[in-house]
Amino acid sequence: MARWRNGFSRALMRQLLGVAAAWLLLPAGAQAADGRLAFVVRHWFIAQHNSRFADECPEGVSQANDELWWRGLSKKDRAKLTDNGLIQVLDRNPIAMRRGPKGEDVCVNPDVVTDPPLRIIRGKYSYGANLDGTTDGRATPKTCAHEKFVGLDGTPGIDNQLYRLVGCTYGWRKGGLIELNANEMRGTSGLGMTLVEITGVKDPRNSDNVTVTFYRSVDQFALDGAGQPLPFTSYRVDTDDNGKPTYGDKLKGSIKDGVLTTERGDVRLPFYGNYNFMHPIIKDFGLRLEMAEDGKSAKGLITGYYDVHDFLHYVGGMAGHSSAADNCPSMWAMAPQMADGYPDPKTGQCTMLSAAFDIGAYAAFAVLPGDAKPVKTANR
Amino acid sequence: MSCDVSQVFSRLFKAAGALALMAAVSGCGPSEPKTAAAPPDMRRLTDRQYHNVIGDIFGRDIEVGGRPDPLTRTDGLLAVGTRTARITPAGLEQYYLVAKSVAAQVTDKVHRDTLIECKPADVKAADDTCAQTYFQRVGRVLYRRPLRAPELKAAVQTAHEMANASQDFYNGVSLALADMLVTPQFLFVVDETETDPANPAGQRLTSYAKAARLSFFLWDTAPTEQMLDAAEKGDFHKDVSKFVDAMMDSPRLQDGARAFFADFLGLDKFETLEKDSIIYNAFSNVVAKDAQEEVLRMVTDHVITRDQDYRDIFTTRQTFLTGPLARIYRVRVERPDGAWVSHEYTPQDGRAGILTTVGFNAVASHPGRSSPTLRGKAIREQLLCQHVPDPPGDVDFTLFEDPNSPNKTARQRLNAHATAPACAGCHKITDPIGLALENFDGIGQYRQTENGEKIDTSGDLDGAAYGDPVGLGKAMHDNAATPACVVRRLWTYAAGRAPSQANSAFSNYLDKSFARDGYRVRGLIRRIATSDAFYAIANGATGTASDVPPVQTAKAQEK
Repeated sequence: MARWRNGFSRALMRQLLGVAAAWLLLPAGAQAADGRLAFVVRHWFIAQHNSRFADECPEGVSQANDELWWRGLSKKDRAKLTDNGLIQVLDRNPIAMRRGPKGEDVCVNPDVVTDPPLRIIRGKYSYGANLDGTTDGRATPKTCAHEKFVGLDGTPGIDNQLYRLVGCTYGWRKGGLIELNANEMRGTSGLGMTLVEITGVKDPRNSDNVTVTFYRSVDQFALDGAGQPLPFTSYRVDTDDNGKPTYGDKLKGSIKDGVLTTERGDVRLPFYGNYNFMHPIIKDFGLRLEMAEDGKSAKGLITGYYDVHDFLHYVGGMAGHSSAADNCPSMWAMAPQMADGYPDPKTGQCTMLSAAFDIGAYAAFAVLPGDAKPVKTANR
Repeated sequence: MSCDVSQVFSRLFKAAGALALMAAVSGCGPSEPKTAAAPPDMRRLTDRQYHNVIGDIFGRDIEVGGRPDPLTRTDGLLAVGTRTARITPAGLEQYYLVAKSVAAQVTDKVHRDTLIECKPADVKAADDTCAQTYFQRVGRVLYRRPLRAPELKAAVQTAHEMANASQDFYNGVSLALADMLVTPQFLFVVDETETDPANPAGQRLTSYAKAARLSFFLWDTAPTEQMLDAAEKGDFHKDVSKFVDAMMDSPRLQDGARAFFADFLGLDKFETLEKDSIIYNAFSNVVAKDAQEEVLRMVTDHVITRDQDYRDIFTTRQTFLTGPLARIYRVRVERPDGAWVSHEYTPQDGRAGILTTVGFNAVASHPGRSSPTLRGKAIREQLLCQHVPDPPGDVDFTLFEDPNSPNKTARQRLNAHATAPACAGCHKITDPIGLALENFDGIGQYRQTENGEKIDTSGDLDGAAYGDPVGLGKAMHDNAATPACVVRRLWTYAAGRAPSQANSAFSNYLDKSFARDGYRVRGLIRRIATSDAFYAIANGATGTASDVPPVQTAKAQEK
């Protein structure tokens, strides 16, 4: 009773009752009964503000490989190389790509030609976050001078140089082939499967001091008849020969009203798209994840710095380029100019692009090595 | 068999003092009362039994296709329906197609050297000696007794004619074997009887018929060759308990137990189960198959493998899951693929026992929504052996199904519907218990609300109050009708008919023995399998193969 009269104990009791009430509202059998929530990332797109009439691209969209190749040909050569015009744009990718002076593929050898400069975003608005802490984009020890955006909600000082770089190229814009193909490939291949696990969850809608870990899953998406991932599927975490997760970077975070927000840190993620398998590190990575009230899905925004070389490796390594979708030499030339983060100590040239990614995820269970129990068969 | 007086005295002489007397008597328990025996029967093989028999005799790699005519559920069991099952002309055609396929596989080049013990002198001609050797052996295991001379002669003759006509010994054997596989002697388990030497005016099952009855009860298949050898020596008239014990020690007891529980729990309904894929996108054929298997694994693991109290199947938190099932249960499994893993629910999961399984709740639901009425009916009829009258033909569902109804939960809608006097009587029986399972939607996914309104799962089962599905399981566990029902059904399954009023003493004996054994199903199976009643035939009744109604043989049909 003495302890009960004590103010601290009352506060503690209130806290405990609050947690108990939160658990009572949880659907039985739901996630987080053991303090763990997980989501498997299904959709991953560069966060872009694309207006209906591409006002953010006043110079127009970038000229793609096919267009540049076509313009550089005489009428006679056009007829010769396209079977007198019968081979149309979508079928002439391999020919258009090999427009180097010695027939080189310009995506593999982007420096053998000099293309017109890539057209880039000139608009004011963007999704993203203020990564450098400035409102004017001036250079800091960690960043290079760059233009800032205003958030769609009016937040000033937004950094998103990756969007500025790709936002006026058809294949990279929303609904463009590059992003859509990559997303589709992840959905059907089981490669580049990112699992986000949140541990230390006391209440799935409100929890301070949670830990967010990023894993790769070795299991493919379980899909329904319409091809959509089924929530609450168990996904095994990829492990090395010693049974330790091959990925597993951790960030601290908190959940408020169903929205997870992490602190910033470096996170390595699995990535697969357009036949490229990568494991890029996103520096100063931060995640804001809105969890649906029914607990089945979540959508969010990842912000941080994306390595220019990782990006160009992806651009150059895409097999099956659509020659009408993008332009490798122009992208190759422009990307370093757009880099705004992590200057090279020797050259002072920035090596990373501020970026933002939209993600869509489904509720899942992360199966870690410690979760495995001895398998007991019933009777046969 | 039950303990007789001489056994008690024998023990008495060996033991000294009153304590030993008490121990000796109490060890035997109440003796088996006299039973009103039933006339001999013939039961059609179930689909599963057909598969088991073919697999046992010819090997599991022999593919068996086709589907027999459906059975009618009688006295709560399809097994009882096998007594009155008929074979329609279309059904016979199915059987014949399957028989031809099986026989062709048995005699093909891959299998013939293994499955046929002799080789013909000339593969392009008939060889009666080899054919006779083969049919004598295989006929005995197919008919569960030695072939009679005319039966063997007919098989050899058919093989002879067909072999010479096609210039292929194995073709002849194949056609004769196919003929045997569509005879009533194979398709029906016939209670053949003989004069009872202890009561010359009465009849008893032959030793072979006893072996068959026991084998189909315990293993859901025909007797092995070793059992038939024992039957030939009349061993099943002497001490059946040694066979029962050996058979119960075999892993094949699982097959028999699974067959019973699949029938008892009405799992055949999975064959026609449909769910709306828009509403329940997580439900698939794989889930349906796994959900059915989960129920069987949960129950047989509990009552057979671990020999636990039957009533605990309503409260146990231990089960087995696959990845697709775990997704519906919203639990983590270490193997997301189709592999089975053991799983134990936590108290927070809100699940315990078979009433909370996806299997039970999905079957007792409509394609697009749950059904407290179907669930309540299933509990009353299947698990408590109580009768729920059918709804009247002119029942009005408008109040229940009105999409614009202000009633958001099933309880509210049913209350509105069941106020009609014609409906109220039955709904009072079914709905209160069915509503306890409303935390599970039409495929058994957990929910706490329906149309935004909190679901009330409280109620009572015959006076025992509960607040949620787990509580209902506890009430079922404690309900006296629960163990009585499984006793009644298991005896009905074994005997092929429900106990009559005249058998009430025997029913009481089984009920009391079951309770005294701690509600162990293994003990109940043994008690039935070793009872006199299980093998008893009514005096004056006879059963022979000639009682079997004539069925046109395949050979005749081909001609």
